[in-house]
Amino acid sequence: MSDPFTFQMLVNYLIIGAGLMALGTLGFLSRRNMIVMFLSAEMMLQGTALTLVAFGRYHGNWTGQIFTIVILTVAACEASIALALILILFNRKSSLDVTLWNEIREPGQPAIVEDPAEAEATEPVPGVESYPVLTPAGIEPEHQTWTVHRD
Amino acid sequence: MYTFEIVRAIAVIVLGATGTWLLLPHRHGRVKPAASNLAGAALSLIALILLATLWRAPSNLLNGVFFYAFGIAALAGGVLTVTSRNPIYSALWFAAVVLATSGLFLLSGAQFLAAGTIIVYAGAIIVTFLFVIMLAQREGRATYDRMARSPGRATLTCFLLFWTLLYALISVRSPHSDAAAEGDMQVRLVRASQILQSKQMVPTKGNASVVVRALSPTNKLPEAEPHASALGQHVAGLGGALYTDHLITVELAGSLLFVALIGALMLATPKPPVRPGSSSQPPV
Repeated sequence: MSDPFTFQMLVNYLIIGAGLMALGTLGFLSRRNMIVMFLSAEMMLQGTALTLVAFGRYHGNWTGQIFTIVILTVAACEASIALALILILFNRKSSLDVTLWNEIREPGQPAIVEDPAEAEATEPVPGVESYPVLTPAGIEPEHQTWTVHRD
Repeated sequence: MYTFEIVRAIAVIVLGATGTWLLLPHRHGRVKPAASNLAGAALSLIALILLATLWRAPSNLLNGVFFYAFGIAALAGGVLTVTSRNPIYSALWFAAVVLATSGLFLLSGAQFLAAGTIIVYAGAIIVTFLFVIMLAQREGRATYDRMARSPGRATLTCFLLFWTLLYALISVRSPHSDAAAEGDMQVRLVRASQILQSKQMVPTKGNASVVVRALSPTNKLPEAEPHASALGQHVAGLGGALYTDHLITVELAGSLLFVALIGALMLATPKPPVRPGSSSQPPV
């Protein structure tokens, strides 16, 4: 490759890696959907991988890329375990909300109570989604549920 | 020059934090005005462009264009992944982040990793999509996607982290040392004479190529080792380094994948819950 990988280029790559890391942390801390939290964790791994590849290129050896291969492996393992966990947690509570699991918090900590009315209201979208909803009438037929349904 | 960079970095942090905070879902129970979203997007964009002015352009024009495109795409995709209300959009923007990162891998000479990242994460993102369609869409527009958990404090923490890293990165100066390379060459000369003596080789041309081959380290990139073309260029060199210096790493990675496979199977298989009062023993 004709373009030498200078120290300035290394700093460029490290800045991007730091940005991805910070944004991933932000998503993991502030979002409540478990799937989005999982994606944020993967984004932090991407930032780290970018940093390692740039360091390896700057120092002229393969070690950074080999570290990144290990990160890819760990990310694949983490994805399988995390998605299995999300599946069983969803089966217990019928929701992807991570705040519902605050009953397993540390003893002595106050419970987090979320009021759904505080959520940002959805804007009415013109089209099928904004059609009026009819109230269900008649007798509800008997059906078996295998999960606990929240209202 | 240096203080100007610090000022720009502070502007990046302040504008980026404000913009991201405006973009995150808050808990006020009202429809968020479009002006607030627009202002957040504009502030984040300004912060991103200011951050791009902190980068030094590569000497090659084409490399520079692609570097700026991929870098800005990665960070913008990251902001949108975190702030999207719909998890499907989050997954799509995360795919954009992965593509941009693979482009940056290509630019920094990691061809195998660029391909590998796309292949691995394509599978991961498709599975995530399946999960979103299977689980999240059942609930429609869920409330928990529309109220973030303490967005102000989370934004403050993360942008403080970013500020720390950014300050460290722009204040560091380029080190000047060629002593390591010279020492490396000295070691190699000594090692070459040792090999020649112990094997009692006559320094002919064929023997010389054998010695050069034996001395060239497996761990060096082809850019850093212009004489090691016999060892193979990029992907072959990576394979050489992976299966000589890091053989145990490969074994460990394989075992880790196997253990994770078993763990995921054990977790995801539906089992009847074990309750304290239940009489029947759970199946082992």
